[in-house]
Formats: sequence, structure tokens, C-alpha cells
Amino acid sequence: MIELRNITKAYQTPFGPNVVLDDISVTLPTGESIGILGNNGAGKSTLLRVIGGAEMPDLGTIRTDGQVSWPIGFGGGFSGSLTGEDNCRFVARIYGQDVDRVTDETRAFADIGRYFYMPIRTYSSGMRARLAFGLSMAIDFSVYLVDEVTAVGDANFKKKCKDAFADRSERSSIVMVSHSPDTIKQYCTRCAVLFRGKLTLFDTVEQAYEKYEAYQAGEAA
Amino acid sequence: MSSEENTLNMPAAKQGRVVTPGQATLGRALLGQYNVINALILRETRTRFGKHQLGYAWAILEPASIILTFVIMFAVAKRGRAGDMDTFGFLATGIVPYLLFTKTTTQVSQAINGNKGLLFYPQVKPLDVVLARIALEFCTYAAVFLFLMAVNVLFRQELVVSDPLLVVVGFSLASLLGAGLGLVFMGLGQLSNVTERTRGPLMRPFFWVSGLFFTAHSLPDHYRDLVLYNPVIHTVELVRAGWYSTQSNQYTDIPYVILWILGLGFVGLTLETITRRKIEVT
Repeated sequence: MIELRNITKAYQTPFGPNVVLDDISVTLPTGESIGILGNNGAGKSTLLRVIGGAEMPDLGTIRTDGQVSWPIGFGGGFSGSLTGEDNCRFVARIYGQDVDRVTDETRAFADIGRYFYMPIRTYSSGMRARLAFGLSMAIDFSVYLVDEVTAVGDANFKKKCKDAFADRSERSSIVMVSHSPDTIKQYCTRCAVLFRGKLTLFDTVEQAYEKYEAYQAGEAA
Repeated sequence: MSSEENTLNMPAAKQGRVVTPGQATLGRALLGQYNVINALILRETRTRFGKHQLGYAWAILEPASIILTFVIMFAVAKRGRAGDMDTFGFLATGIVPYLLFTKTTTQVSQAINGNKGLLFYPQVKPLDVVLARIALEFCTYAAVFLFLMAVNVLFRQELVVSDPLLVVVGFSLASLLGAGLGLVFMGLGQLSNVTERTRGPLMRPFFWVSGLFFTAHSLPDHYRDLVLYNPVIHTVELVRAGWYSTQSNQYTDIPYVILWILGLGFVGLTLETITRRKIEVT
């Protein structure tokens, strides 16, 4: 269960404060996997970073039971000058895990060959995503925060991701953000919509999608 | 009001075990903190010195080359020895504590901006990065100092360390002064990006007034009183008094330096608390 209470976050811009998350109070049940739909710039990634504890909200509290992953995407979390292997060792250490086991499992899952021993800055975004995903799978989280990571990568990698989540659906669930309802449908049973700083949870992906469409139509009008 | 609950996602102590916040204990918190700082030190060592053994050698060669430059300049200028110290030792006991102070300041002030990617992981907090960097700088310059003084001892064929404890105190105070000033810069850096540009010019005067090229004793009274307001010269004088029996520490004032450290630390940590919520990790 992830309980958000009065979560508010704004960024300063030259045009005044931009309220990205506006007093959100929602409880996300983590027994099932939840998708969060939102347009580009709706604040999806910010929401994940706040849930994951990477950034602090301006106001409000978050309560989680079980260990929540860092937001898994192809963006932050790796240092470019270090090799994939060194980045894995660092993450394994801060999570108090067996360094060699995590490194071996990540290398096997990411399947990026010799790039594993090369600096991250030489990676393509697909390779970064593979490494990030493999690394998070090597550490047992009860909730995985996924930031469009499955959108990159080839069909083979996508299948691998799906299988990996299916394997651990008993003990782990997903909170996934995406602007694509199709992606969310593949992984999630419930869905929320993030629109103008407000998060609304729906019972089915279809209901969420209808609302999402309606919002978009409203924006366009 | 706070999202402290977030930070309770402690690293699982054993692999495959998931720890819920309810189970968090002080022991586990300390283990988590230890894991994070240890990982950060190992990682910083890798990024700073590279993968090759030569990287560590460079850490020692860089300050050694600075000192050698000044030894040569002193020789060319035919400047006499300072007090009863040999030129090399005199310069080394000044430059190494000074470098420890300035490098700690630089590293701590860039702890957030140089490591945004790491703050992605909820258990890594800016202050963990700060602690790791303080430790790494201290160890580096302690090694540099021991290496340089070992070389010096070989040349001079004598080893008398007057008071090792004073040397340790001098280095510790230089490190803490750098840490305190670095924290202030780190906090100000979150408020305004002018900070990073002004830090260099603001730090430069320390090179001239910290006793690298003179001793407090050698100065005329009214200059000495003025220079002694600078806390850094006290750390240099402590190191020299600890190493050379001919150097007295009559001008050093340890409580004065500690007051500076407490003051800078208070301001720095306050700024860190105020700006904590402003940090954007991407």
C-alpha cells in the first residue's frame, strides 16, 4: 500500500510557480499493479520520484509498506563515467545486497555483452534501460516504480520484462507511469489519471482511459 | 509535515529479505548508513582516481609537484630557511593542510550538484555524500602528508616528530573548517547559482594569508594580530608545531578555530535543511 497524503510539489519557473502535484491524497493498493496515465509534462515522473523518495514533496507525507524501488527508467540513477558493472556494485552496496550476486544477475538479464564493462555514457538509451531493469530485478522489491522503461527496447526485451514481472507477481507489484494506455494495459489491472496536478484512481484501465480521452479533448477545445 | 517515512525504506540487511518500515531499528539504520557511506567512498575513489593504479599516484604527485615548484622558487630567490625548518618541510607542513582545507571546501560544496544521479536512490542523502567526501579528502591528504614527510626524512636523515597529536589536531581542524565552509557554499549554491562562480575568487586569499610561506612568529605584531583572525593559519601552525620541536604553538588558539567550525556548521546545516526540498534530481 502506498498512501499519499496532501502531496504538493511545485517548481519555480521564470513565469511563476508551476504546481505539478496539487494536494494529492490517494491510497494506491499495491496488491495489484497500477498504471498512471498522463500527458507529457503532466508530472508523472515527478510523482514517481516523490513516491520513490528521490525528491521531497513541498508538503504532505507518504507512507509505504514493503520496500519500494527507485524510479526505474532510462534517465537518472547511473553515473556516466563509471562502467555498468561499477554502477551495479554501487547500487548493490547501498541496498545491503550481495555485490557479486547482483552483478551476475544484472549482467545475465541486461544481456548487453561487453558494454557491461564500459562507461554508461557509451550506452544507447535502450542499453541503459536494459541495465536499469536488470539491476532492479536483481534486488527484491515489493513495489517496482517503472517510468516508461518498457517503451524502449526491442520486442525481445519487452517480452523479457513482462515475463520477469509475471514470475514475481505473487510478491511484487508495479506502479507504472506512461502516456500510452496500451503499455499500461499490458502490465496493469488498475489505472489512475494524472491531470492538472490531481490524481484520480479508477477501477479499470478502460474507465481511466475514457477519462483520459475526455481530459485530452477538453485540453484541445 | 515531513516525508521522513520515506527514508525508512531501509536496505534489506540480508539478501532477498524485504524490510518494512515498522521493523526499522536504530541498529539497522546505522547499518544502512554505513552501507551507503562505504559505497559512496568506494564509488568516489573510482570516479576521482580512475580505474588505474596510476590514479592514486596522481593524488600524491599533484600536491608534491606544487610543493616542488615552491621549493625551487625559494631556492632561486635564495630565500633563507624559515626559522629552523628545512625549506621542503616548511612548505609541506603549510601547503598540505591548506590543500586539505580548500579541497574539502570544494568537494563538499559540490556534493549535491556533482552527484544528482545518486540522490535518485532514497537512502542516499546529500549529507551522506558530504560525509563520504570529507572522509576521502582527509585520507588522501593524510597519505600525501605521510608520503612527503617520509621522503623528507630520507633526505634529512633524521626523524623527530615533536608532538604527533598536534599534527592530528591541526589536520582535523583544517578538514572540519573546510567541511563547514563547504556546507555553507553547498546551501547557498541551492539558492543561487552565482555561488559556484564566486567561490573560487573568495577562496583565493587563503593561499596568501594562511601561513604557507611565513610563520606567525616571523610577522610584525600588528600584521600578526590581523592574520590570526584567519582560522586556517592556526591549523598550519598546529601542524608545524607538532612536527618541529623548534616551532612553538604560542599563537594558536584551538577554541577560536572550533568556534568557527561550529558557526560555519550551524549556518551550513541550517541552509541544507531549508533548501532540502528544492533539490531536483534530474
